[in-house]
Amino acid sequence: MKLKTSLIVALSIGIIGLIAWESYWRSQDYEPNLNDDKELWANQRAKVNNASEQDILLLGSSRILFDIQLNEFEAETGIRPVQLAIAGASPLPVFHDLVHNTGFKGTIILGVTTVLTFSTLYPKAMPWDRPQSKVDHFYNRTYAQRLNHKLSLPLQNNFVFMSADEELYIDDIDLKSLLRRIEIGERVPETVYLVNFQNTTEDRNTSMLNKTVTDSSFTRRVTNFWEFVMKVSPPPDVAPTMEYLVNDAKDFINRGGNLVFLRCPSSGPFRGGEAQILPRETVWDELLRQTNAKGYHYEDYDQFKNLVCPEWSHLSLKDAKFFTTELAKIMIEDNVLTNQKTN
Amino acid sequence: MLFNSLSFVAFLIVVLALYYSKIFNWTNKKRMLLLASYVFYGMWNPPLVVLLWISTMVDWTAGNKLAIEENQKKRKFWLLLSMFVNLGFLAFFKYGDFLLENFVFLVNSIGIDFQAQPMNIILPMGISFYTFQTMSYTIDTYKRKIKPAKTFLDFALYVTFFPQLVAGPIVRAKDLITQFYDEKKATANQFIWGLFLLTIGLFQKVVMADTLLADTSDAVFGSGKLLHGIDAWIGTIAFSGQIFFDFAGYSTCAIGIALMLGIILPDNFKYPYASLGFSEFWKRWHISLSSWLKDYLYIPLGGNRFGITRMYVALILTMLLGGLWHGAAWTFIVWGGLHGLYLILEKLQKQYLPFKITKWNGIFLAFITFSCINITWVFFRAREFNTAWSMIKSMFYVQMDGEKVLSLFDIIKVSTVIAILFICHWLMRNTSMKEVSLKTSPWVLGIVWAIMFFIICIAQGNGEQFIYFQF
Repeated sequence: MKLKTSLIVALSIGIIGLIAWESYWRSQDYEPNLNDDKELWANQRAKVNNASEQDILLLGSSRILFDIQLNEFEAETGIRPVQLAIAGASPLPVFHDLVHNTGFKGTIILGVTTVLTFSTLYPKAMPWDRPQSKVDHFYNRTYAQRLNHKLSLPLQNNFVFMSADEELYIDDIDLKSLLRRIEIGERVPETVYLVNFQNTTEDRNTSMLNKTVTDSSFTRRVTNFWEFVMKVSPPPDVAPTMEYLVNDAKDFINRGGNLVFLRCPSSGPFRGGEAQILPRETVWDELLRQTNAKGYHYEDYDQFKNLVCPEWSHLSLKDAKFFTTELAKIMIEDNVLTNQKTN
Repeated sequence: MLFNSLSFVAFLIVVLALYYSKIFNWTNKKRMLLLASYVFYGMWNPPLVVLLWISTMVDWTAGNKLAIEENQKKRKFWLLLSMFVNLGFLAFFKYGDFLLENFVFLVNSIGIDFQAQPMNIILPMGISFYTFQTMSYTIDTYKRKIKPAKTFLDFALYVTFFPQLVAGPIVRAKDLITQFYDEKKATANQFIWGLFLLTIGLFQKVVMADTLLADTSDAVFGSGKLLHGIDAWIGTIAFSGQIFFDFAGYSTCAIGIALMLGIILPDNFKYPYASLGFSEFWKRWHISLSSWLKDYLYIPLGGNRFGITRMYVALILTMLLGGLWHGAAWTFIVWGGLHGLYLILEKLQKQYLPFKITKWNGIFLAFITFSCINITWVFFRAREFNTAWSMIKSMFYVQMDGEKVLSLFDIIKVSTVIAILFICHWLMRNTSMKEVSLKTSPWVLGIVWAIMFFIICIAQGNGEQFIYFQF
């Protein structure tokens, strides 16, 4: 048996095949991108254990994830915040964990996307299950999983074909995602998947891909998904979620924590729909009244209220930088944050 | 640590580099392998390595005492001590909550109001495998079938050898410990063949099980709905393929990795889905467990030495306990019971309705066997009787008004994969991969290998745990 020959043939063809595969996808405008997965999130969550009163945590859903740019925030305040926001998720499970399982007494900026924040307390519902599974993973992750992630980062940073995101984006190019794209007949209703329109760094500084701004057909694929989500989402459950959030907020504030709520911009059908389903007076104003916490609503500021989200829900990188810089200035002016550079 | 992970790739490269470097003599190489095995296990949950140490210490001591002790009572004491510790670990860690639940149910059913908090005990990975392996050592020493290990290091390595530590094959002492006595080094051909087996194992796990079949099986068994008959059947055969590729994949990886170190592990699967009957299935599926159950449970229970009735009782008890070995739930016991029933029916058929198996009726018989085995997988996968009954009803009443959860593409994909799996098992049932590879041109073998390597890389996988780790 000439196994050496077989090994040489296998390695040669295998490596040539991978180079061809990588080149093909790069020719289709794909670029290496990190997966914003549970391990990346857990690495940020681990930073809280050593955080001081000067540190700032960002919690919430995808809007604060996209709209607060860490570099700009750091440039204004002298502090690089820890990004713990999770796309498509209620912030309540993460906030609850931080309040009850850590002694953190610094600043938490909690992004309020009303339809998610006040969506549900039901553990199996997606807005709850997604963040809770990340919290659970933080506590349960094994040393092997940590090492796997460390080893995978240089590969994800350099190879396009390493794109199997746990979010199951329809434009991922791992084998399972490619097979998922094949549809024959109409035996079951068509499932609508989201395309990946974000770029992420190791500390989860997240920004919108430029083609979301420049390529209208790509933007349409994102808004199609939002339309689908609006159609299938159950109505929010305001009273119990408000009570849950207010209780945790009071606990955090009472122990000396600095809590700031933030409402990031939305546009188009999202803006109208949100205002209709959860009017500002009954949710946002009520939240601030019950918690006595400081809050920033984009509609209250001239420089923000006309910002346009290309796909209705998140700011482009350029606008996100502007939003972050201006917001940080306002917060410092209000003494909600201190500028560590000057202090 | 999982074979299908980057950390394992790095781990294996370091272990192989140290193993084949000239800085260690054989004893130090074995020490390195032992340490590496503890690291391999500890990367999952370090404190649970203590259980391995206790199991190792107890069985090493018991084995040595059994070898020199002549007093029968004292010999029994050492055997029972080993059984108590090993089965005690299993009972506590694996069956603790199950026993508590059933106790609560029992006392409630006789009118006593009693509630208990679940203990939520963590299940140590692979505990069923290494406890069975160490128990076989003590029992064989008690029966004077083997001599105790020459050194503690050899024994500790036998208990902990990382390629087969968490999911088998369950190797007997006589087959593995003796290999540690003399220096082992893989030949170039053995090393490359081991690498080839590792590739095949990873292909089975990452591509076939996780990429092509797992989602369909999960969608069907997790739907919580009364399903259309086609969906129920497709979900069931998807799981049938998934569990084969997952477990056989692990065993193939284990055998390949050990071979790269020059250590030979026994086959654990021999194309089981082409079995002509259920007794043959158990000679081809998870061979190391079925032979363990036969030698240490079925034969001590009487086997076929005390008449037909006693044999049937022994058979059904063995299969029920074999089911329970897989998991702490009544559904696993039913799975084992069904296999026991199949074996009894097969023995009755052979006695009262014998027929000759030809090449013409063989494939038909294999298909019938495969179909009956698929039915048992429903109970294995469902975990709850409600789900299992719902599936069985859908499969046999062929409910046309049941809910459809699978796309046409999913149905075609799973049917194609399982049809190819069955045909491959049929074609390979009287041969082996080694024999086929000998008849294959090295270029063709290389191309097949390259295709598997390429598909593993583009499938990526997300380090899904092997199903059998939980057993």
